[in-house]
Amino acid sequence: MTFLRVIPLFLLFSGFCVAANVPAGDAANGMPKVQITYSKVGPRQIEDATARAIPRDYASAWRTLALALEQNQTDLLDSYFVGTALDKFVAAVEFQKSSGLRTRYIDHGHTVEAGFYSPDGGALELHDTAHMEIQIIDGGNLIHTEQVTLNYVALMTPAADRWNVRLLESVPNF
Amino acid sequence: MFKLLSWALLIATCFFAAYAARAAEIHPPAGVIAGTAFTIPTAGAGKATFYLVGPTYTGKREVQLGQAIEVNAEEVRSAGQYTVVLRSSDGEASANFYVTANQPAALSFLAHPSRIPVSQPNGIIAVAFIFDKFHNLVFQPQDVTFRLALQNAALISRSVRTRDGIAWTRMDSSRKAGNAQFTASVGSIEEKRVIQQVASDPCNLRMRVQRNPKGISVETDPIRDCTGNPVPDGTVVTFTAQNANGKSTVDAPLKKGVARAELNASGPTTISVASGVVMGNEVRLAGAK
Repeated sequence: MTFLRVIPLFLLFSGFCVAANVPAGDAANGMPKVQITYSKVGPRQIEDATARAIPRDYASAWRTLALALEQNQTDLLDSYFVGTALDKFVAAVEFQKSSGLRTRYIDHGHTVEAGFYSPDGGALELHDTAHMEIQIIDGGNLIHTEQVTLNYVALMTPAADRWNVRLLESVPNF
Repeated sequence: MFKLLSWALLIATCFFAAYAARAAEIHPPAGVIAGTAFTIPTAGAGKATFYLVGPTYTGKREVQLGQAIEVNAEEVRSAGQYTVVLRSSDGEASANFYVTANQPAALSFLAHPSRIPVSQPNGIIAVAFIFDKFHNLVFQPQDVTFRLALQNAALISRSVRTRDGIAWTRMDSSRKAGNAQFTASVGSIEEKRVIQQVASDPCNLRMRVQRNPKGISVETDPIRDCTGNPVPDGTVVTFTAQNANGKSTVDAPLKKGVARAELNASGPTTISVASGVVMGNEVRLAGAK
């Protein structure tokens, strides 16, 4: 009888463990949370596959950028950045290296609204309200930390198996 | 006497705190145009370390408090948010400012498709991205003019205001075939593309039929589209002959605007002609030679 009473408790505990493991997996990967809406996208309608790919690839791009800036590694960047964005972030890492600085982005998530989607499907513009903590590190010393909400305009273009960030600029407002 | 000394010490502490706080202040301009040098005034005395962290440039240097910090044009070429930090023995001060794009200097122009039939409504898509000389997207609205020009044809022009640095439009292809010069311009900056406009589907496809000793000779009239452009050589025209023995087809490419073929058919025969989705006339031949 006592044994039967324990079974529901065991199942409840097991269920809790499984449920708690799902978000932990994402956190372990360091993948930032990206919430995206497509209600204002146009003139081209967003395709289902694109709608699924954009938040995944945009989040991966941010994770890549954060790693590159924290570890001062330029070779990470070309997996999700192309064109102007790649050139600028490679330069950013090089400047950091030469001055002995690093920047750490602790990403608290992105609220993204898709805007212009070119008629030929060749470019998608995003408006991103990003919440993050930015830390500036000189050698091993944390010299500045700041909680910020930044507005970014991103331009993404399709490649063979993903969408790349071609432009990423912070702006005072949208 | 002790009370007086305490008050004096308190006032001195307040003055020192106020001085220290002033020493740690840093006030960059609220907005800076990309690639423009500027100065940041500082207060206090002694040395400090100045950090400038931007979207591209990151650097640090020793500065003298009380003197203005000079920020070079090369340090603020990229648009976006910058953070300045001033660290001295008196403490730390930080501030943020934005760098915005300079004047338009470059235009990234996407024209699609590169080859299109004539008279296609909204068939041409043009997208222009406006950048400054440092490859920053210019968010300040700009008027972009798209022009589609073809010799001996009316110029098609449209002006579109940018939004978030992007202007786009759809345009009809011209009524005349040929290589059209497609330009996008903002101020004196211009980018050119060539759109090859080709004849559309054949119009009024007609053929002449003649029996000869070997069979039936068929030949089209010179083939043109509905706006009078000659359909390009190589376009395939299909002749079909149907009689009591069945159906036979011959594909003939256009040569000098005309398609010709020999059909091996006898007896009463119906001959039709088509090119792509366009059907031409049908000719019925009696059985006699």
